[in-house]
Amino acid sequence: MRKQEKVDKTIVVPGDLLSDDAAKAAEGTYTENGKVYSLIYGLADEREKIRVIPLSGKYLPTIGDVVIGMVSDISFSNWKVDINSPYEALMHISEYPRRIESSEMAKIMRVGDLAIFKVVDVDQSMKIELAPREGQLRVLQSGRVVEISYTKVPRVIGRAGSMISLLKDKLDVNIFVGKNGRIWINGNAADEELAIKAIKRIEKEAHTSGLTDRITKFLEEEKHGVYEKR
Amino acid sequence: MNDVIAEIRKDYIYGLAKRSERADGRALDEYRPIQVEVGLIDKAEGSARVKIGNTQILVGVKLQPGEPFADAPDTGVIITNVELVPLASPSFEPGPPNENAIELARVVDRGVRESGAIDLSQLTLPDGKVWIVFIDVHVLDHDGNLIDASALGALAALVNAKKPSERYGYGPDEALPIKEYPIAVTAVDLDGEIMLDPSLDEETIASSRLTVISGLQGTLAGMQKSGTGTLSTEEIARIVKLASSKAMQIREEFFGGSTDG
Amino acid sequence: MEFMKNGKRIDDRLPNELRPIKFEVGALERADGSCYVEHGGNKVIAAVYGPRAVHPRHLQEANRAIIRYRYNMASFSVEERKRPGPDRRSVEISKVSREAIDPVIIKEFYPRSTIDIFVEILQADAGTRSAGINAASVALADAGVPMRGLISSCAVGKVDETVVLDLVKEEDNYGQADMPIAMDVRTGEVTLLQMDGHLTLDEFEQALELGKIGCASIAEMQREALIQKYRGEENE
Repeated sequence: MRKQEKVDKTIVVPGDLLSDDAAKAAEGTYTENGKVYSLIYGLADEREKIRVIPLSGKYLPTIGDVVIGMVSDISFSNWKVDINSPYEALMHISEYPRRIESSEMAKIMRVGDLAIFKVVDVDQSMKIELAPREGQLRVLQSGRVVEISYTKVPRVIGRAGSMISLLKDKLDVNIFVGKNGRIWINGNAADEELAIKAIKRIEKEAHTSGLTDRITKFLEEEKHGVYEKR
Repeated sequence: MNDVIAEIRKDYIYGLAKRSERADGRALDEYRPIQVEVGLIDKAEGSARVKIGNTQILVGVKLQPGEPFADAPDTGVIITNVELVPLASPSFEPGPPNENAIELARVVDRGVRESGAIDLSQLTLPDGKVWIVFIDVHVLDHDGNLIDASALGALAALVNAKKPSERYGYGPDEALPIKEYPIAVTAVDLDGEIMLDPSLDEETIASSRLTVISGLQGTLAGMQKSGTGTLSTEEIARIVKLASSKAMQIREEFFGGSTDG
Repeated sequence: MEFMKNGKRIDDRLPNELRPIKFEVGALERADGSCYVEHGGNKVIAAVYGPRAVHPRHLQEANRAIIRYRYNMASFSVEERKRPGPDRRSVEISKVSREAIDPVIIKEFYPRSTIDIFVEILQADAGTRSAGINAASVALADAGVPMRGLISSCAVGKVDETVVLDLVKEEDNYGQADMPIAMDVRTGEVTLLQMDGHLTLDEFEQALELGKIGCASIAEMQREALIQKYRGEENE
């Protein structure tokens, strides 16, 4: 039993009453007869407004999101890309930094390839368009990609990137976190494994406080173990 | 709908295989943790839930008096059915059993039948009827290697089962006459490395797999190669040997007490 | 058959008493959300997949998600082995159960998608549709699906001229009336109502009142089970 792992926010379920002040309603809530209720199962976070942070659910893209996608099909002029969402996204051939023929598409990205994309358009019917991030297409050739719930991404990044900095600092790896819950880890094989363990733990304990301290301790202990074995 | 596995993931699993390692840290011949619980379903004459890692299946055995087959009037009847219900995997769809469900059911059925697990000659009833033994496998969570889980569940549920004689006016309830303990062991071959109990990823990547069902004396009772890939005769011989000795361990662990007598 | 003796029922319950109920949230690994329920002798598991792409495509709706609900009984769930696959009864139950849950789901967030709910009855002992709806509702929350509230369901009925809550098999088969209901307890809106048998208007009102009380108790258990999922992990 670890007593310090307190849930510092209240767990709520759909239909729970959150406030009598409709003006306080924010994401994850709805109002009815001037009252605010929870729309989802999650953590209620009350500041000036009350929002409910989801604990699970499917990723829905927003313009500007950077995601890790997997090519699932290639048509005449589009790569179809699975972005870990209910909707498949498309990257048009013309988004590729230089002019290419349709016949060359599979040389650039094959079915099953993972790459980093930016979401450039999402319309009302959830048609999603992608482009390479920062004008350069990055196809992931080495390293590992793990998938976590997109809802836990903010915890993996940490306040002002603190958790990611911690991982990169303690481990000999590069980490890229996609908004859609896919995380790319590339570096020394043993450290990749440790990074994945740490990320899985962050995902599992995302709703608890004191997480950064526990992950620091975990990495130190595990690193120690790894060195001892050698 | 098919699960597409990222190329990078395939490379990783193949890379590990070259060093005789697996993604979840298991040894090549090591199973994920196996759990067997029996008697969860009171409405069934026998039942068992088997978990192998995150794979989970539930087997119910029901017995009813019925007509024997015309060409075998003195033997009981076994009917095996597998439901790959869509609750168990995003790739399962509602509808009548597809070829995978039917193959799975038939492999489980052959293991039970051909090994002589049940003495069918003891399933006759005084009025000329025989016991019909229904083995129904309900897959709940599909994370690879459904065959071994289903076969183990079928055997555990049969061992757990009682003939409902009283309900049908045939005297007191009795255990089924179990004579043999067939255990299925499935292997995949990834780049020449043979792995037992494939995870879903390993199973998806491997182009073929081989299931070997063997009995108490290590004798074979059934085999099934599945998938479009090929296996060399040397590989097959290695898998058969490995599977038969692994089956001994599994049998000892879950049926050790019953097989002694 | 005598159903009431000294104010108690055949399984020793009071007329307004539910059977023991247990919820387990997240019982399955592959599903997006799941819940296992034991309700008296019923053993039921529900899984939710989605929102996800609709196959076949022509079923998709341009501006909202569709909801699909499949109630299925395992062959071994009942005394006499049931032939696998859907029959008329399970098709009807799937339809009314879907309609019981549909009103609280916010479908507009997910155009062109489907939310699939699968309910498997592993052991049946009267009230399987209610147990299925209760499990499905929790599984939807577990999957992160936005909803205005949880749906809770139970059956009420009449045996030996007495209105009773949550019938067991014998009461259901040989009693005078059976009435499953489902509702959003907070708003009091009824989303499923079926009845067969004989009830006077007075008895109906009494039964509905009792059903509301039953649903309210179940709603509290559903809520507690969801909260416990994360409290539990905290103490691991």
